[in-house]
Amino acid sequence: MDIGQPKRIIEITPATLPVPGEIEPHGEPERETRPARAPEPEPTPASPE
Amino acid sequence: MSRAPSTLVGLATDVSSDPIVAWRAWTLTGPRDGSAVLLRPVATRARTWKPRETVEASCRASPWHDAPDPSCTCGLHGTHGLEILRKTRCPAVLGRVALWGRVVEHEHGYRAQFAYPQRLRLICQFCFWMSGPRKTSPELVGWFARDQLVPMCDEHLAVAARNGVFPRHLLPAAGVAQRLLDTYAVDALAV
Repeated sequence: MDIGQPKRIIEITPATLPVPGEIEPHGEPERETRPARAPEPEPTPASPE
Repeated sequence: MSRAPSTLVGLATDVSSDPIVAWRAWTLTGPRDGSAVLLRPVATRARTWKPRETVEASCRASPWHDAPDPSCTCGLHGTHGLEILRKTRCPAVLGRVALWGRVVEHEHGYRAQFAYPQRLRLICQFCFWMSGPRKTSPELVGWFARDQLVPMCDEHLAVAARNGVFPRHLLPAAGVAQRLLDTYAVDALAV
């Protein structure tokens, strides 16, 4: 079946899935959240030899 | 990990929260007694659509891109209108299908990442080819080899018999149609 030339792309993320019994929309997978990395301690000046 | 579409350049991209509802035709498959009926794309060797689960596209031609890819023909198809579906090979079910995710819109239809049927009805493929959707009301469903179910009106069942084509078993179309609606938990298509 020839549906012709492509015209545009539509990114559709429905609020409610049109599937009986399914609730969660299929969007981008949630990114893993990690705790912010603690800042590196300031280097202490090297003691003179 | 998501694979990158190969050619997104040159096509405008829009964002929406409303699924597209388009026209689509399927074949029908099930055992001899019609106790379990499933939709199957008209494409050869395509997988059946699982009831009450989102159907996700994949590309058999290239494992290197996500479906639908703008430069390919992969994806779950739907059409703007009904007429184009009259060219479909051996349709058994006509319906409305919801499409979402990444959707490539074409001149005459769509290719989508995700889909699920919304409304369905059985059709006699011969009536549909000749007269369109409004004059097709199959009375029986023939069961053929490889569990293929073919809805037919009395007239075309007789034509098939005159040409030496005999279903191995016949089922009342009304019962198969209701089982199809119950299986996918959707309403009947009124055309």
